[in-house]
Amino acid sequence: MILFAMDRLPRLIVSAVIVLAACAGSFLLARGTRKPFSSEAPAHRVLGPADAKVTIVEFSDFECPACRVAEPPLRAILKLHDGKVRLVFKHFPLERMHRWARAGAIAAECAGKQGKFWDFHHELYEHQDQWASEKSEEHLASYAKKLKLDNAAWLACRKDPAVNEAVSADQKDGLNAWVGSTPTFFINGKRFAGAMQLSERGSRWVEKELKK
Amino acid sequence: MSAKIPPFAGVAARVIVGAVLVYAGATKAAAPPEEFAIVIGSYDVLSRDMVLTVATFLPWVELLVGWSLILGLKLRVAAASAGALFAVFLFSLVSVKAKGIELPNCGCFGDGIHLTLTQGLLFDAVLAALCWVAWTTAPSAWSLDNWAEGGYTGPTNDKR
Repeated sequence: MILFAMDRLPRLIVSAVIVLAACAGSFLLARGTRKPFSSEAPAHRVLGPADAKVTIVEFSDFECPACRVAEPPLRAILKLHDGKVRLVFKHFPLERMHRWARAGAIAAECAGKQGKFWDFHHELYEHQDQWASEKSEEHLASYAKKLKLDNAAWLACRKDPAVNEAVSADQKDGLNAWVGSTPTFFINGKRFAGAMQLSERGSRWVEKELKK
Repeated sequence: MSAKIPPFAGVAARVIVGAVLVYAGATKAAAPPEEFAIVIGSYDVLSRDMVLTVATFLPWVELLVGWSLILGLKLRVAAASAGALFAVFLFSLVSVKAKGIELPNCGCFGDGIHLTLTQGLLFDAVLAALCWVAWTTAPSAWSLDNWAEGGYTGPTNDKR
């Protein structure tokens, strides 16, 4: 009953406090339920334990030189925190600039269906200047041969519209997250664009998140 | 004009607009401000220096205005502020369309709902109209204003 007996000014103050408390409450609720970033991907594109404290979602384009440059610092983070960090690879071919990027993504995806995604991924970055050319098909086939893939299954997979759609779905995921350049990393939801941000600030962020 | 709009329509309008603002504000405030700064920067309507500041404070303004509308605190001011926000959002969307900037979505709800620019335009226009309904029907019986301004006529009123 004390609330009804109040004068105008205290009532206004109480009203303002109620509104501010509602603001704080909805903020805390949103922060608690927020999914910073969809870390869903097929198992062949995921490294590290599912219950890792830190998840790195990488949006990358196999034809992008900056993505190749970001590989060593990324590997260093994974090696340093072995078993504590999970990496999820997402395709983000920048097709306006990189003519062969989608073909590379599809080829890697199909190698992944045979359990060789990371090996193929390594080949694509290692020999970026070779396959990102008019002789793309020839080089991609040579990597498949080198990795002892079932060639018929790999070729059939590359023509499968579902694989192309999977690449497009990743691309859409990235667009919805306003990914504008590659590589872009989301470490527990926090964005780091490029190799320098990853190695300078990203590695510190990983350590901070692991200490939580 | 306000006599033609039934009071329940005013309450419904302010709760709808308020809920949208609270959802939009909370999803953006929950994310790092740098995320929303990328969205604002893409619109190319503010100088680079201002982008992060606006990205930090705008979600909280949306939350404050949204809850003020839902709970009915300073209802006319809240409805006018919400109307001003939607006018700014509409101006930004039209400006992006006019400049031919391609955006993946309107970025209105952070990493929540993804509306296209056209959907965002229509949505904001409808909400701006609802702000006007909320403004014309204020003050409202179902509001903190009513209680704070002494609208309550319960037993303790006689004693004062």
